[in-house]
Amino acid sequence: MLFFSFFKTLVDHEVTVELKNEISLRGTLKSVDQYLNIKLDDVSVVEDVRWPHLSSTRNMFIRGSVVRYVHLPAAAVDTALLEDATRREAASAAAKAKQG
Amino acid sequence: MSFFGFDTSLPRDRGHQTKAPGFGAVPDAFAGLSSRRTVDDDDDDAIDFEDTYDGLGDRLDETDDAFNDDTFGSEPASQQNVGKDFDFAGQTSKIANTLQEEHMLFQARQPPPRMEPARQAARPARTGYENYAKTDYIPQLEASANIWGIQPKHHIQPQQTQQSQQIQHQPHQRQESQGTSATPARKMMSLEEVEAMMRAQSKKPGPPAQAPQPAQAPPVPPHPQHQMPPQQHVHYPSQQGPPTGPPQILQRPQQQTAPRSSPASRPQGHAELPGHAVQPPSIPQHPTILQRQRPAPSEPVAQTQRHPPAQAAGQRPPSQPRQILQNPNRLSGQGQPISQAAQRQAEYQRALPVGPGHNRGPSLQGPVVTHPEQLLNLTEEERAAFLIEDAKRAKRNHKIHMLSKDNGLMTPQDKNFITRIQLQQLMAATGGLEEHGPEAALAEDFYYQVYTQIRGAPRQTPHQPTSQFAQTYIFQTGGRYGVGGRKHQRGGDNHMQRMEQQVQRAVEAAKAKPKGKQLVIEGSLGKISFSNAKTPKPLLNIKRPESTDGFHATARRPSRVHLHDSSVFDRKGTLRNIERVYSTLMLMEDHERLMPPPLHADSDPATIQRHLEWQTKIQGLHEQLWQDLKIMEPINPNSLTPHPFIAMLSHPKGKKAIPRIFRQIDEQQRITILTMIVVHLDALSVVAHAVPTPDEPNLSRATREEVELFSHAVMPPLFAHISESPLNIVIGLLGLILDRTNLQVVARSKIGMSLLTMLISRAELLKQSTPEINIVDWEQWTQLYNRLFDSVEPVLPFVFPGSVNDGDDVYVWQFLAAMGVGASPEQQQRLVLGVKDRVMETVAVSKALPAEIASVRLGHVNLFMRAIGLDVELLG
Repeated sequence: MLFFSFFKTLVDHEVTVELKNEISLRGTLKSVDQYLNIKLDDVSVVEDVRWPHLSSTRNMFIRGSVVRYVHLPAAAVDTALLEDATRREAASAAAKAKQG
Repeated sequence: MSFFGFDTSLPRDRGHQTKAPGFGAVPDAFAGLSSRRTVDDDDDDAIDFEDTYDGLGDRLDETDDAFNDDTFGSEPASQQNVGKDFDFAGQTSKIANTLQEEHMLFQARQPPPRMEPARQAARPARTGYENYAKTDYIPQLEASANIWGIQPKHHIQPQQTQQSQQIQHQPHQRQESQGTSATPARKMMSLEEVEAMMRAQSKKPGPPAQAPQPAQAPPVPPHPQHQMPPQQHVHYPSQQGPPTGPPQILQRPQQQTAPRSSPASRPQGHAELPGHAVQPPSIPQHPTILQRQRPAPSEPVAQTQRHPPAQAAGQRPPSQPRQILQNPNRLSGQGQPISQAAQRQAEYQRALPVGPGHNRGPSLQGPVVTHPEQLLNLTEEERAAFLIEDAKRAKRNHKIHMLSKDNGLMTPQDKNFITRIQLQQLMAATGGLEEHGPEAALAEDFYYQVYTQIRGAPRQTPHQPTSQFAQTYIFQTGGRYGVGGRKHQRGGDNHMQRMEQQVQRAVEAAKAKPKGKQLVIEGSLGKISFSNAKTPKPLLNIKRPESTDGFHATARRPSRVHLHDSSVFDRKGTLRNIERVYSTLMLMEDHERLMPPPLHADSDPATIQRHLEWQTKIQGLHEQLWQDLKIMEPINPNSLTPHPFIAMLSHPKGKKAIPRIFRQIDEQQRITILTMIVVHLDALSVVAHAVPTPDEPNLSRATREEVELFSHAVMPPLFAHISESPLNIVIGLLGLILDRTNLQVVARSKIGMSLLTMLISRAELLKQSTPEINIVDWEQWTQLYNRLFDSVEPVLPFVFPGSVNDGDDVYVWQFLAAMGVGASPEQQQRLVLGVKDRVMETVAVSKALPAEIASVRLGHVNLFMRAIGLDVELLG
């Protein structure tokens, strides 16, 4: 749930989502769910010359499985906290692995 | 041949004339627009029938009027070509009083409603929709035939008597149905069936031809009520089972046609209506069409259920028309009890304005129109208003009908059942977070929770409803029950209770159930994990051997080669040490959150006990942290590997841990850490590797970042501590630096120089603020200062980083200023000599710089110059 938890904090920030089909979309993250499906608003295509058919799309829902990268706004990431969250996640994963 | 001029054949013989809407039909006010043509075509084969049959039934339903031209010819009706042989209303109105009396008599004599216990008991909860599913419902035929068979005698009688009897007969039927509160006995027929049957029957007896009729048929304005039937759908089903259908079909043609052709009104109607701009018939006409086409059988409702009783009031002379009114529409009455004339009448009157006994919707404000004649007598305006109103009503009713199509498909119990299932699934899916409480939520959602706390403005509630979901949900449902159905409150409560119990059980079951979140297939490398809403399926979940902990992991060489000599193992060990520190830190911070409420004098023992336990635990963690820090490891000056604690500080995350560690440890431990750092000052990576060499005057970027991080993360806590330290501590620390470290290195690094600045300035501050300082201490300090000065002086030209053009030399000026304040005049002289070149260069460079930057640079220089009583301005 770390990623879900993390992306939730990016809601209403501008992110760039790079899809596995090489389309990059920049937009405001409106919502994310546990599958890391993404809702973007005010979308603009980074290479709109290459993907003209998307130029009129203002908002969209992106299935989490087609996302390759999400470019994060650095200012909105608390790295120290993220490190701690990662430690916790790792600890609980380790606990589960040992227990299960 | 009756004196009325219509055939006297028995209804079953006459059959159902095709234009009359079936009782089961649902009028669709709009369907007719498109299907009108088709309907007419279909009627072709029935023309014979129409010609022979008086066709009065057509006008029964005024909504059909628009078809009259098609059916009967379009020549304008006139008094000449319109016969008077169907003036039933006029005739009947003459005997209205008689009818009324008869009716009352009949009711008085009426035996208590006959019960039909078997059927009624068998199906008490019928919704009335059942027959929708069955288009070929055969029993209906039988039932209707049965009804007709029962009462043929009424029809044998002369017309007038027959009519009056019929009127009486209807109440009788009504009473039956009302008495039993439902008439499930008679099944509904689909319209087609009814029509087919009618047609078959009508073929047999050729009713006397009524030639004039087609021509006469006046385009009667619509009757308001006829547009209402949809409402029947809304109300009817809930109250009553399928009521008697076919019989009414019979009744309608007879009774309803009669009033229509009052001789007085007819001509008027002919004259006026066709020319009317707002031609009403077009709207009402649709329902009829629909009725025809629709197989929907549930409309037996069209039953006349309210009847002449209204006339008891004697308000309106033509009694029959009201029946027309009431007949198809009056529904709600059915559910009502015993047919008390008065009661009915009251209802009837109430019902009139709105239509079918239904006070919903706008009612015409003007005169109540119950009869076409009335409509004709209205002024143009009123009529237009009425018609508009009418159209609106029709539209609304149609809408209501469409919306209510599926009403009652599920009972409240059904809905509750579904809700419980959903709730149960939900509980199972989330695995009952309540077990763990907010702590679990925090563990699952740590980053978000803390982030929103730190940065504030959480968009969603931090502790999202997961745990409270069930409660919220139940509460809402409860509210709905409480407000919505007062009547059913008991039932609602029961449902609520059951639901709550169900949820509780579901939660318990989820707790009890071993969490089968994974499936291990024999011989496979991993496990298959089941996902649920909360935890999407992870990928392969490889089970780790217990002892790995990194030892067996392939040792990857660090991509970034550190300059110190630590081996890979040391590096990994150091990193592991740091992680342990962090784990302990997190445990401690978690534990802090769990701190019980503060103790008071009168705290109860349980609280005290919890405090004790809490203290014990934090103590344990504290010790754990101290051990993890490895700060007490013996210092081995000759070791090749740095001290474990110092090694931690060479990693960024080790540096970042220092502020958090300082929060957790006590004063003594802080001094220990400070001492440890000071002792190893020249071994710190940020000092040892941050000294510019002749080959590399500028530090590498990585090193600069390290230094930057160190000065942001480690220095502030150290500085905070030093700034509160007494002189002896400062003396001790400075002594350690002088004794144990290579001052040449320390003085040339930013960190080392900053630390020296801290110590000197603290001592200077102490000297100024507390004049009565211990002489011994002071002498000791002066000694140390002199030693420091002597050590630093040779490297003064080299302490500046980079070239003159680099602006990042403020820390040097600060150091020089700190030194200069405490220096003797002779030492100040030496200081100035040592840095004179740099001062002059800086002043020269700043002349070429923009004013702002220049002033900043000169300000830095001035830090030092002023400390020794000079100013850059003097150099200008």
